[in-house]
Amino acid sequence: MTTTGLHEPLPGAAPAPRAERRAVAALRLAWLYLVSRRVPAALGLLAGLAALLWSALHWHWGIAGGPAAQQFISLSIEAGAAAVIAVTAYGPFGEPERATGRWLPYLRLGEAAALTAIGYAALAAGATGGLLPGGTLALLRNLAGITGIGLLTAAVLGGAFGWTGPIAYLVVTEVALTGNPTTPWVWSARPPHDLGGALCAALVFAAGTAAITLFGARDSGRRSSPE
Amino acid sequence: MNVELIDLTRRFGRTHAVAGVSLQAGPGVFGLLGPNGAGKTSLLRMMATVLPPTSGRLRLLERDPGSLGPRRVIRRRLGYLPQNLGYYPGFTVTEFVEYFALLKDMPPGRVPRAVAAAIEQVGLADRAKAKLRTLSGGMLRRAGIAQAIVNDPELLLLDEPTAGLDPEQRVAFRAVLRGLGEWATVVVSTHLVEDVGAACTDVALMDAGKLVFHGTPAELIARGEGSRAAGDAPLERGYSAVLAAARSAAGTRSATETRA
Repeated sequence: MTTTGLHEPLPGAAPAPRAERRAVAALRLAWLYLVSRRVPAALGLLAGLAALLWSALHWHWGIAGGPAAQQFISLSIEAGAAAVIAVTAYGPFGEPERATGRWLPYLRLGEAAALTAIGYAALAAGATGGLLPGGTLALLRNLAGITGIGLLTAAVLGGAFGWTGPIAYLVVTEVALTGNPTTPWVWSARPPHDLGGALCAALVFAAGTAAITLFGARDSGRRSSPE
Repeated sequence: MNVELIDLTRRFGRTHAVAGVSLQAGPGVFGLLGPNGAGKTSLLRMMATVLPPTSGRLRLLERDPGSLGPRRVIRRRLGYLPQNLGYYPGFTVTEFVEYFALLKDMPPGRVPRAVAAAIEQVGLADRAKAKLRTLSGGMLRRAGIAQAIVNDPELLLLDEPTAGLDPEQRVAFRAVLRGLGEWATVVVSTHLVEDVGAACTDVALMDAGKLVFHGTPAELIARGEGSRAAGDAPLERGYSAVLAAARSAAGTRSATETRA
């Protein structure tokens, strides 16, 4: 242990093999990156949303009305999870972080993909509390699509505003559901096996992930060159 | 040459933040002076590879930062401290500097010692385990300098590095700059003329996006001798004299163009 608290081999101990040192450094970098993006807090929120979904389905919380009212609670929870994922795109370090080596795009991509997968797994676990409209297939489509919107919002407006896209989409969808929407872009209104809705959601997720990977969340109103 | 700029420009809409700057810099401490809005920060951001130039040629460490591969190599060998440094308040000083060392792709075996050395150099060894949220503004600035120098950069870009430092820290920091400048190119953008006099081997003065002076601090002092330019110190008088001459020449040019 050095005076600065960093781990070093004890005197006389054989140094770790190079590959092992690289793996430890990669894990350490990933951990510091995730902590700086407040990912532990995001995981707590996702778990909370999963518990909320479970409660809503188990105790049959509901709002009387048409399709908009029936989907309101589950769709709100999905949009909430997408907003949480999008907000973690916010990085506090700004340009000095952008002016570093090659790892940043991989870290961004890994974080977005892993959090979306964890968010889906958490909400799917929450869906075991009762009957989720559309089932877990619709859950996957909705969460991926709305997360894509959140990531695109973070890339354009900044990570701190990443939540605005999912909430706006929730409002637009709820308004659309009061009518009879036919466009696949309102994918939550489509049946779970609908190809058009799934393709639109997948496309938006891919676009959001690509934007956040290449450019990161916009910071301080400044647009930088891609990494 | 570690820095080579040829007719470099950067526009934001109709505003020319940097308007045709040509400059070369090798190892040493290079002071970039100028009033607010002169274009110093935009020039530094282009050199930090975070802002692409609108036109002109930029070569850093004998590579073109416009291409992905060379840009990655440059960034591994670059240190950058912007005017406003963001930080995660829950990190300790060590974690903050270590994060940047790992991002800059330093060999893992070298990271612990390099982090400790950088923190020691900026005088924060006794606060290495302190959370950033507990540090004063001057200490945060020093933590920012530590992240910039942790990879022993060949090109170090510092925007107002001494802002918020007390006089004792400022003197110590100038010594650090002189040491780094023995083998690296250190570009320091500052309003503080005394920092330039104490630490810089070369100085450039910018005004309205243009380079209006490039020489040694002694040459800048000479520009102020015998003039009635404002300033309490010889360097300040040189600074004021060069600015006044540049603005007068620009005014004359503008009047001529209007008449034509």
